[in-house]
Amino acid sequence: MTGWFRRVSAMVVSVAVSSPVLAADPTPVLQAEQSDVAQLPAMGAHWVFPYTKTTAITIYDGDNGHVLGTIPATPLANNVIMPDRRRIYITETSWSLVDHGDRHDMLQQFDARTLERVRELALPPRALVGRKQQNFDVDANGKFGFIFDLSPASAVTVVDLSAFRVVRTVDIPGCALVFPWQSGGFSSLCGDGSLTNVAVGTDGKASVTHSKPFFSADGDPVYEQSLAERAKGDAYFITYSGKVMKAHLGPQPVIEPAWSIQQAAGQPAAGTGVQELAWRPGGTQPFAMSYYNHHLFALMHTGTYWTHKTAGTEVWELDTQAHRLVRRIDLPTPAKVVAVSQDQKPLLYANGENGNLMVIDLQSGKVLRNTHIDAGAMTVTPP
Amino acid sequence: MTESFFDRLGEKLTRKMAQGISRRSMIAKAGSAAVVTSSLPLLPVQRAQAAQTQPAAVSDFDRRAQSTDPTKCDYWRHCAIDGVLCGCCGGGVHTCPPGTQPSPVSWIGTCRNPVDNRSYVIAYRDCCGRTLCNSSPDCHCNTEDRELPVYRPQANNDIIWCFGGSSAVYHCSTAALVGQAE
Repeated sequence: MTGWFRRVSAMVVSVAVSSPVLAADPTPVLQAEQSDVAQLPAMGAHWVFPYTKTTAITIYDGDNGHVLGTIPATPLANNVIMPDRRRIYITETSWSLVDHGDRHDMLQQFDARTLERVRELALPPRALVGRKQQNFDVDANGKFGFIFDLSPASAVTVVDLSAFRVVRTVDIPGCALVFPWQSGGFSSLCGDGSLTNVAVGTDGKASVTHSKPFFSADGDPVYEQSLAERAKGDAYFITYSGKVMKAHLGPQPVIEPAWSIQQAAGQPAAGTGVQELAWRPGGTQPFAMSYYNHHLFALMHTGTYWTHKTAGTEVWELDTQAHRLVRRIDLPTPAKVVAVSQDQKPLLYANGENGNLMVIDLQSGKVLRNTHIDAGAMTVTPP
Repeated sequence: MTESFFDRLGEKLTRKMAQGISRRSMIAKAGSAAVVTSSLPLLPVQRAQAAQTQPAAVSDFDRRAQSTDPTKCDYWRHCAIDGVLCGCCGGGVHTCPPGTQPSPVSWIGTCRNPVDNRSYVIAYRDCCGRTLCNSSPDCHCNTEDRELPVYRPQANNDIIWCFGGSSAVYHCSTAALVGQAE
């Protein structure tokens, strides 16, 4: 380096270092920050809780697509958002040494604003089975939680959610899943096409009744993912071929005659032929309902019988009181999961086979978003 | 695993078989279904379902099925499989990958072999004791021929069948041939 260049360089450095002092810069110096933790506002009707990857439930704001928070959840987990929207319960199973060691089956209570794990309760071994809402649910007033067990003998663990203790385990031989009553009990679907109905008294005692068979488990089984309307104690049992049977659940369930999704749309009722092409329901969460107007949303595809897990290319909105089709909604991507918000300006959600979450405004019919989020086999919306 | 688990399983299924099948029919059908077995003992859950298997019409899966590549979801034996194919994880169509254990019980499907056009009973046995196999997404299958809800557990493929082993952690699924369906 020459002497001239050294002198000029030194001058430039000197000016650069001293210039902030010389210039009257009005920008204040940035201050040190305290690390803190975000809290959520009251849960909005348009929040949506898809299971993402194999690790979590990711909470999204359906209106703007922002991530609001994360709740840990393995592929074995199930969750329920309580009717007061202040508590979220997760049932989870893990092992002390990852793939071996002591098995832990737990009920975890999360605070819906802080997402802190408030308390945990050890459970009898749960059913380790594909995620579905019907593995774990609560009654409308939030007194009892019902957790499906399979060891492989079938049972349901009843939890008092206020006292946060296991009340009892009720054997339900030959039956499975939980469809909560309005209060004080649940019904389970059985392999002979009937319901087992379990009343749980305030003293914790259980009494069991059995309905007559009302469907054929071999001929046209009822979907596991049939819907339960907790607030009314009603269930909407839907068969592989698309027959809908509304039931009022209780010790003596009242089951209404079946109607056909396809006939509601002006088409022939779909049968059970393996070569019979028709519009059929399918997916891992093929149904959702807006409970304020009792419109059913069903993921539909064209296919033969035994395509009950096949992704839907359309969502059909059906009026369950008039038994008629309201509209057909084209999906940008075939989807295995459908969910709907429970307000009167509802958003429809669909988990694409490609991991996208689709958000559709049901008032305008417009697709608001179609974003890759590694969406999985289930999505829950606030009650 | 305790003896009471097997006792309860055996009692439940024996009762179910006694209710649903005549003795003569059960013996005849179970006999033919048990022609080919794996080295593992066949528990009653498999025999019960095999005995009730009916000849199947050709389904969409059957029409598209191939018989050459067992690491694909459309391999003919995979007509009702839900999970990761063990052939993609260091195992094979009836072989668990190293370090895992086959589940003592399984769910049952009936699949049509496109080579001989016969239907065979398939035992979908899970391999257990390791966390989920990280394989190509092409090896994650969820087919549905004659797959029934969990209230018919023997024919349900959503259940993790790692009952009775030293660990109930799921790794992958196999599709062992049990015998010809009637």
